[in-house]
Amino acid sequence: MIDPFQLTKAVIKDVKFETKDTYTYTIQYSSEEIPPADEFKPGQFIEFSVFGVGEAPFSLSSLYRNKTFDTTIREVGDVTRFIHKCKIGDKVGIRGPYGRGWPVDEAKGKDVLLIAGGIGIAPLRPIIQEIVRNRDDYGRLEILYGARSPGERIFVDEFELWKHIPKTYLKSCVDCVPSGFSWSEKVGVVTILLEELLTQPKDSIVLTCGPEIMMHYVVKGLIDLQFSEDQVYISLERHMKCGVGQCGHCQIGPKYVCKDGPVFAYSEIKGLPDLII
Amino acid sequence: MANKIEKKELAVFVNKLLDKYEVIGPKKKKSQYVFEIISSPDDLELDYPTTILPLKKFLTPQKEDLITFNLNNSDVLEGPNLEKKQLLFGVHSCDLNSFPILDKVFTDENPCPRYAKRRENLILVALTCNEPNEYCFCKSMGTGPSPDSGYDLLLTDLGEEYLVESGSEVGESLFSLMDGKNAEDVDLKRKESIIESAESKFERQVNTKDLPEIFQKNLDHPIWMELGKKDLACAQCIHSCPTCYCYDVRDDINLNIDSSTRYREWDSCFLKEFAEVAMEGNYRKDRSSRVRQFMGHNLGWGGAEQYQIEKGRAKCVGCGRCIRACPVDIDITEVAATIRGDK
Repeated sequence: MIDPFQLTKAVIKDVKFETKDTYTYTIQYSSEEIPPADEFKPGQFIEFSVFGVGEAPFSLSSLYRNKTFDTTIREVGDVTRFIHKCKIGDKVGIRGPYGRGWPVDEAKGKDVLLIAGGIGIAPLRPIIQEIVRNRDDYGRLEILYGARSPGERIFVDEFELWKHIPKTYLKSCVDCVPSGFSWSEKVGVVTILLEELLTQPKDSIVLTCGPEIMMHYVVKGLIDLQFSEDQVYISLERHMKCGVGQCGHCQIGPKYVCKDGPVFAYSEIKGLPDLII
Repeated sequence: MANKIEKKELAVFVNKLLDKYEVIGPKKKKSQYVFEIISSPDDLELDYPTTILPLKKFLTPQKEDLITFNLNNSDVLEGPNLEKKQLLFGVHSCDLNSFPILDKVFTDENPCPRYAKRRENLILVALTCNEPNEYCFCKSMGTGPSPDSGYDLLLTDLGEEYLVESGSEVGESLFSLMDGKNAEDVDLKRKESIIESAESKFERQVNTKDLPEIFQKNLDHPIWMELGKKDLACAQCIHSCPTCYCYDVRDDINLNIDSSTRYREWDSCFLKEFAEVAMEGNYRKDRSSRVRQFMGHNLGWGGAEQYQIEKGRAKCVGCGRCIRACPVDIDITEVAATIRGDK
């Protein structure tokens, strides 16, 4: 019986600056026994340990390849502050991947609409990579990305690449443009991008991730546009301390975000207690 | 198989158990009772009302080390040793019914090897509850006063004798340690009438019909705000609940700064920090939402489906400890009646 708290050893292979408080870490397993590649699915999360400091859950922000994966981490507390002190070559401990990810199979053959807010685009990046890898399996890809300001967007260096994926449309907006920044796209919250939406409810699927209050208005906007509650998928944030349905911290009514989610169809969680969405 | 032994023979039986196992049973502690390791049959207080703490402390201790890291080379050192063979003696039906729920959480999808090992090494000798106390409501939860299954042995106090029934092969094997004789139909009938008599003594009850649906419809009931104003967030209800299993995970560095231990510790959804997330977010910031979480999980959504127990059963086993422990008299049975509209 393998202890769910047993760690797999890994090293930080690369660190990429995203914004002043957010970095993307490429993690490579260094131990002999590693999870099989097919256990990694877009939308899942891992538990990241810094020895002597603690452990916290983070989304996979890339597909798994060659013993490595990316995770994109914003400094928000003690563990993340220590992670940001880590350098290339530092040893870390990983558990997972855990949870139910995005409905990749169900998205096949459909138009895919991604709606992200801020760092919420991190768990959607593996979906974009999956579509690039198997472009003909999916219809149109439309990405709506909102951030607080131009400097708080992540993966900006990949946007040109994404725009050149066939049948792909990327639209961005920001809540405000501080002085010194130039901005040619829309200003406002992400729902203003729904005004010129290309994706139609028919034969499409929507995947959204961002602050829960943002997803609340995104879902509302989509329902107004005749999208159904079971074609809109959201990824929820809770503090999954164990990742295996025991510690109770991520419970929402009868659901555990760590094992029943973190991705849910809106229809699955609608009406449960302690949700903002 | 069923046997009966004279009361004076029980001490002989317990002494034989003590030769083979670490025996844990109800003992007196000041004016209350606790489950503790016993060293002699005289320690046992089998007429005990519900103990202060439930039995979960033997399977998932309040604080337990998970792994130790060596900080010099980031090697993960070995985990803690596992416990020895234990026998729980005199377990009431409410507590016995907590095990299937804990088993589901800790041994099903991602089994905890520490829990699983202790559980495997645990022998359960149950005891029919003849005298429910003023806080008990197990009958209405379908979990007592006498269990139908889940035990290795079941004792029932018939007055001068104990009826002893086996519920497993392990239980059956224990018959060889006692000087008993075969029970007769009349003894089983006496047990039935004792249970009937106990059932008539309950002062509290919960109507469990459609409770999950009633909770779901009453997420905005004013009672949550009212209870939120009373609640002290002391978490005594959670710690005394036999089926509350939530825990926190923390790391501590030793003072030599050369190793660090990750441990888990009982946690409580009544505490403000429980549902905190990054950026000072908190999904249950208000006390009212935390009271609702406890009540909803115990009587509402956390039931048969979540734990794959008998249909209609709830996470709550009706032991009444949360009512007894509450310093501000929050009573789960009254809450259930209020949201149903009976009060």
